[in-house]
Amino acid sequence: MLTLNKRQFLIGTAGMTAAATLPRLANSAGKNIMVLASTVDIPNFDPHVATGYAPQWLFRNTYDPLVRVVANPPVPAPGLATSWKQSEDGLTYTFELDGNAKFHDGTPVTAKDVEYSFARLLRLAKGPAWMVSGILDQNSVKATGEMTVTMVLKKPFAPLLSVLPWMFIVNSKVVEANKGTDDGQAYLLANMAGSGAFKMGRVKPGDLYELIRVDNDWHKGGNLSGAIWKIVREASTARLMLQRGEVHFALDMFAEDMDAIKDMPKVVRIMEPDYRTFTIKMNTANGPLMDKNLRKAVSYAFNYKGMLDAAGPAQLMKSPLPVGIFGFDPDQKGYDQDMGKAKEYLAKSNFKDGGITLSIHHAAGYENQRRWCLIMLESLKALNINLDIRAMTWPDTVAMARSPEKMVDFYSIFQSPNYADPDNTAFAAYHSSRNGQWQNPVYKNPEVDKLIEDARAEVDKTKRAELYKKFQAVIVEDAADIIGILELRKFAMRDNVKDYVFSPVAANTMEIWPLSIA
Amino acid sequence: MLLYILRRLVLLVPILLGLTLLLFIVARILPGDPVGLAAGPNATPELIAQMKREFGLDQPLPLQYWNYLTGLVSGDWGMSVFTRRPVFADILEYLPATIELVFASLFIAVVAGIPLGLLTAVYKNGPLDYATRTLALGGIAMPRFFLGLLLQMAFAAWLDILPLSGRYPLIESPPDHVTGLYTIDALIAGDWSAFQIALSHLALPAIAMALSPLATIMRMMRSSTIEVLQQDYVMTERALGLSNRLILFKYVLKNAMTSTLTVIGLYVSWLLGGTVLVETVFDWPGLGLYATQAILTQDFMPVIGVTLVIAIIYLVAMLVVDLLYGVFNPKVRYA
Repeated sequence: MLTLNKRQFLIGTAGMTAAATLPRLANSAGKNIMVLASTVDIPNFDPHVATGYAPQWLFRNTYDPLVRVVANPPVPAPGLATSWKQSEDGLTYTFELDGNAKFHDGTPVTAKDVEYSFARLLRLAKGPAWMVSGILDQNSVKATGEMTVTMVLKKPFAPLLSVLPWMFIVNSKVVEANKGTDDGQAYLLANMAGSGAFKMGRVKPGDLYELIRVDNDWHKGGNLSGAIWKIVREASTARLMLQRGEVHFALDMFAEDMDAIKDMPKVVRIMEPDYRTFTIKMNTANGPLMDKNLRKAVSYAFNYKGMLDAAGPAQLMKSPLPVGIFGFDPDQKGYDQDMGKAKEYLAKSNFKDGGITLSIHHAAGYENQRRWCLIMLESLKALNINLDIRAMTWPDTVAMARSPEKMVDFYSIFQSPNYADPDNTAFAAYHSSRNGQWQNPVYKNPEVDKLIEDARAEVDKTKRAELYKKFQAVIVEDAADIIGILELRKFAMRDNVKDYVFSPVAANTMEIWPLSIA
Repeated sequence: MLLYILRRLVLLVPILLGLTLLLFIVARILPGDPVGLAAGPNATPELIAQMKREFGLDQPLPLQYWNYLTGLVSGDWGMSVFTRRPVFADILEYLPATIELVFASLFIAVVAGIPLGLLTAVYKNGPLDYATRTLALGGIAMPRFFLGLLLQMAFAAWLDILPLSGRYPLIESPPDHVTGLYTIDALIAGDWSAFQIALSHLALPAIAMALSPLATIMRMMRSSTIEVLQQDYVMTERALGLSNRLILFKYVLKNAMTSTLTVIGLYVSWLLGGTVLVETVFDWPGLGLYATQAILTQDFMPVIGVTLVIAIIYLVAMLVVDLLYGVFNPKVRYA
């Protein structure tokens, strides 16, 4: 019989404890399960209701749209539709569906499902429905053959192919069978009815969402058998997980994280310009900044270089449209800091001696925005203007944007484009129909409205580009915003991820089904 | 004693009622637009109005409160505007992770803190006393999230002997759900391997959470024990020739425990309410993270629900502490 003295027993116990607690790393090698670390939860699985980047990632991999968006610069690519035709007047689109496409229950995707999906999307008027508001109604999309869909627009809408990637097709039979009293919203909140490459596995709200590759998946490409959307709220933890190979993508990284992983073996940094803009909007409808000369004075006084230096990896914008997007005018010069001109415009304004206090908002906890507010404070001092800096939580910001009276004088805001077309930024951020929304709380200019409306209806590319050029010139001349910066999109991946191609629209909601793990 | 327990439990009702009323009013008078936020940036005014109807937010405040109270009784704690799930179901989802973390850290704090407190009192001003004093100062002064990051760096990144974060390996399924506490569920299932895995994931966050209460319990135990050791009856027991071990464990410990018990009870609520930073660092999907998300989006119902849960657990913990006084001090009477 084995006998142990006290010391041997303690050493043995310690050894057993150490062995017991040795980690079993989430090493997915050999199983081809891709793990993505993100800070964002997926509260709703209904593609016609949910918005936000995490749900968007889910939908791109569990559902299919008629048309996808790929590459850099972004271009439309076949999704459920293998081909499409557009009428000369830009009002009618005809799509031919892929005969191989199947829903998760094995039934084929038909034109009737497409018709049903668009009718449901527009009936609910939630999620991405706003993108085609006034363009399509519940009867605009019809099955004109078993595998043919015809879409008749109420008015020409040039960005149509850019918005279709966010309109996903549901299995009409499954939704109808679970329709309830709310058009299937309660069912699709937590269930899937898609044709995408993956179906839902484990669901642990606030923790992880597991996707499992569908048997006999009809999509061609990639070797992944599954994926996990892992919610990691602390960037340093995500960074360590990436370093240890526990995740393949760390999606929400800050500039300091990117510096820290610069020379990390087996890690690839992705720092690319995308279409997410930062501007400081001015309250053009209430208070001192209704005065255009004062707005111009501020625009010339602002220290743009200081802003860029404080921003980390980024580039200055010179126009309200992001660099590189269709219609961007490279000749537009925007504003540079010029205190002579700033004082000249101040003298023309109703506040020629300054002596006023303006207010500025920044997102609570967002250090860069706070720094930029301090730069604004410093810039305005030279004009004898004081600045009241206020940190606000997001719900307060949304509430503030509802009316010009509630809105501060300066309003800092990032805007991510939902689709790869200048219409997205132009319409959301500058069209007066968006007043009261956080993207455009107050700015209203009939000339700008007309340019935006004409551009979205224009099917001739050259004419359309010319309209956007004029639009940019008017916005700059009107000094509606302090035109800010484009921060580079920052995330990182392991070097064994293959076939990844950066796309500047929805960069962190990538389709993973075409990817492979080496 | 049974009457005492019943009375304390009945007293919970007005306390919780008052708490719900206070929370309800505060939540409603705060500025902000949670529905507008949840509806998304492109929601129309009609959609926002529809959502307000859906969540009953268009009703007068007293009616909303009454509906909430009647719902509470039937297990309907309202809906989260943000997740659109029932709050009670959400809490049941998140609570076990927090309970497991809190009680594991409390276990470490008590199991290490009480003996160390006793020993440092007996060997007052000795090397152990000085060492633990330093540990106590560090434990109280060091922010938990920072300690968590240090532990991650040391044991996960450098030594690579413990998991970095999470409750269980990503690509493995946790033990079948019984209590939601993975360590307990693994033991119930008789799955020793799953228990080891769950325990290894629990180790670092529990230690990060435990250090501060451990330090406090240890110091409290030390000062109580020193005080008791100076009592006349201890000197009498020594004069009668009783062994030091007997005096310490049979007579001194019980009397020194009374004030330490109060501290342990208070730490239950302190730990429950203070998990968020450790949960964030260790990616621990618990109630703290859920509450923080709700606070940031001004999602009222989850905030009220989480506060209620913490209040109930705290009040029950204090009741248990009060009952334990009687175990350690037979002179305590429950009237």
